[in-house]
Amino acid sequence: MSHDNPLQHPEVQVASGRGYLLTFLISTLLMGVSLLLVANHAMAPFGLMLVLSLCAGLAVIVQIYFLMHMDLSEAHIWNTVALVLTIPLFILAIGLTAWMFSTLYERTMVMLPTMHGMAGMVH
Amino acid sequence: MLVDLQGPWSPLLGRLALSQIPYENPILAPLFVVVAIMGIAIIAALSYYGKWGYLWREWLTTVDHKKIGIMYIIIGLVMLFRGFMDGLMIRTQQAMAVGPDAAGYMGALHGYLTPYHFGQIYSAHGVIMILLAATPLLVGIMNVIVPIQVGARDMAYPYLNAVGLWITAAAAVLVMASLFVGDFSHNGWFGIAPIFELPYSPGVGVDYWMWVMQLAALGSTLGSINILATIVKMRAPGMTWLRLPIFTWASLATNIIALTSFPALTVALALIGFDRYLGTHFFTAGLGGNLMLYTDLFWLWGHPEVYFVILPAFGMLSEIIPTFSEKPLFGYVTMVLATFGIAGVSWAVWLHHFFTMGAGPDVISFFSVATMLVGIPTGVKVFNWAFTMYRGRLRFETPMLWSIGSLFLLLVGGLTGMMLAFPAINYMVHNSVFVIAHFHSMLLMIVYAIFGAVTYWWPKIFGFKLNEAWGKAVFWLFTAGTVGVFVPMYTLGFMGMTRRLDYVFNTQWQLLLDVQMLGIAFYSLSVLAFLGLLYVSIRDRAKSRVSHDAWGTTHSVEWMTPSPVPFYNFAVVPHINARDEWSWRKEHGFTDLRPDHYEDIHMPKNTGIPLILGVLTFLLGFGLTWRIWWLCALSLALIIAVVIIRSFDADTGYIIPADEVERMERAHHDRAQAAVELPQAGVPGGVTAYGQGNKPAAKGEVGAPGSGISSPEGSRA
Repeated sequence: MSHDNPLQHPEVQVASGRGYLLTFLISTLLMGVSLLLVANHAMAPFGLMLVLSLCAGLAVIVQIYFLMHMDLSEAHIWNTVALVLTIPLFILAIGLTAWMFSTLYERTMVMLPTMHGMAGMVH
Repeated sequence: MLVDLQGPWSPLLGRLALSQIPYENPILAPLFVVVAIMGIAIIAALSYYGKWGYLWREWLTTVDHKKIGIMYIIIGLVMLFRGFMDGLMIRTQQAMAVGPDAAGYMGALHGYLTPYHFGQIYSAHGVIMILLAATPLLVGIMNVIVPIQVGARDMAYPYLNAVGLWITAAAAVLVMASLFVGDFSHNGWFGIAPIFELPYSPGVGVDYWMWVMQLAALGSTLGSINILATIVKMRAPGMTWLRLPIFTWASLATNIIALTSFPALTVALALIGFDRYLGTHFFTAGLGGNLMLYTDLFWLWGHPEVYFVILPAFGMLSEIIPTFSEKPLFGYVTMVLATFGIAGVSWAVWLHHFFTMGAGPDVISFFSVATMLVGIPTGVKVFNWAFTMYRGRLRFETPMLWSIGSLFLLLVGGLTGMMLAFPAINYMVHNSVFVIAHFHSMLLMIVYAIFGAVTYWWPKIFGFKLNEAWGKAVFWLFTAGTVGVFVPMYTLGFMGMTRRLDYVFNTQWQLLLDVQMLGIAFYSLSVLAFLGLLYVSIRDRAKSRVSHDAWGTTHSVEWMTPSPVPFYNFAVVPHINARDEWSWRKEHGFTDLRPDHYEDIHMPKNTGIPLILGVLTFLLGFGLTWRIWWLCALSLALIIAVVIIRSFDADTGYIIPADEVERMERAHHDRAQAAVELPQAGVPGGVTAYGQGNKPAAKGEVGAPGSGISSPEGSRA
């Protein structure tokens, strides 16, 4: 077994303090914006959901890029494999959940299309 | 505070108070005395024999994957016993509390458990059996076997391995603490929204449940990363993917499931945490909360978890059955494909846990069909095992008995699972004890495989076999218990008995409940027989010593190592030439090889830091449960500090010099030679039975550069 310096491994070489700090700042910013929007009921529920999904997607991309330093190089092939694996899982988990709940709401929450009324009830 | 807490709270002790200690409880108080006496006895014995240093050096600070695996298995067995006691209490209560005339004792109207206490018992039974008994047992066996099977000296991350162990241990201690300090959750092992919300469950029970699950999930996630990295990166030269032993394939699929699904559980539990600690409304009935979203998130993990526990069991059967059929495994490639087929489908079936939610017919049909699809790869596996046994020379030693019992349970559990996959049937028997009997068949199938695997690999780890007669006694008593408890339970399910009854209203069910008591009596006897098995086997160990190949007809890489396996596993990293490497070596007469020279071995150093992290994690969990904020802040800060301090420690390994390795190898060799003379090691037909099925790799790969192995004059063992 070779005893090479673990710091020379390509997985370790991608570490960068600047990238981590940037990820932390951007993620905190996105989370803060989302929290403010929700806390102030800044938009109608459907618009809010879209904006939050957008923020979450942005956060994912930032983390993939700056935190995990994902690229398509040979050294990081297993990271790429893992990322590709998450795509079907993401579709299954989110897609099937959305599907089952949309059919559930059709049956149980007839008020859904006019959720503005419900948002008013919250206050 | 952001939420309204019922009851007193103080900054120093949080919600902890003397009144939370159930010293008046007629069951728990005597139990505490027994536990305390046993604890004192163990401490006294350790001090008397001067074993503290040994315990600290060899076990508590170890990073050796085999010892960590053994400790996982010990945790699993202890928690299996605790879960069994819960099961015993459930059965006893139901047999006693039948009909309005049933007598009541110890404050209960009927039977001897109040409904509140009964709820805690079945909740604890489920959490313990799945997350703290089955999972540690399986993780422990994977921990021991996978690195040896891939020809590695340890896990990819030995330190992380120890951290995972001690976090799991913290979860186990936390659930045990709930016995004597406060109470446990009463809303089932999977949690029911919105009953677990603070207004409806104001006590600490749900908090215990939540943090126990959270810690167990954390431990499992860390473990899965480690095993995945080990399989992907640490395989010996020559071990291509299609030469990977089948149990390692199963472990790979299992840990992919674990790594991808456990986050769903941790998120669901964290959201409950927000609800209970910060006053949010993720899973409440109003204010935008959604009850079914919790159920959805939970089973999004919960169903993959089912396959997380069953795939290693399948892997174990795939190792044991060929050994005792004296044939190679039938259909290796289809077995691998079936494993990944099950793992893949596991992600698309979770709604069948709540068919009755009220989703649309298309959704229900989709999940029904997806669930039935699981039967195809599982059927492939069962046929592969059957064809492995077909025209084999079957030997019914204890591991094989457990495996065959496991196959019968798989058949019963699988067929009832197919029934439950029909929405029409599911609506009828939903929440009945039929469902309980079904999933107990499946989980017992896993337990059978685990007992088989423990018996099978025991000589590899400890160097001597378990006693056959006692082992068979355990098997038959356990099987009598399984039949006695679960056949009546299936029947009661069809008769309409619902699950979790603390009071059984229908007196016609009395007879079947009494039969179940008979079954649980057999289970109790099997527990005693298991202790007897351990005692007799350890007492007579000198007579049952074995050499490398404990069963005579084994086939995979781990049987190439001496028994017990030295702490460095392989003195020289082996070169893998065939799928069933050990069979291949037996066939080619390479069983008694010594490398022409040894090299220095680099091994990880022992460290006490994982144990410290485990203790701090327990304190954090306890502090969070009881809302002792200073304890939470302190233990969290210490955890972060310890992790940072450790990360600056560059001196984490040491070198064993080559001549030291050679000396130890000679000692192992001499011991193996001594064991070979004993009759237990030689099994008729052991070598020739493997002559046909294995295609040898291309000539010239043996002794290739880097393998470090050369053949002496073709000495056939």
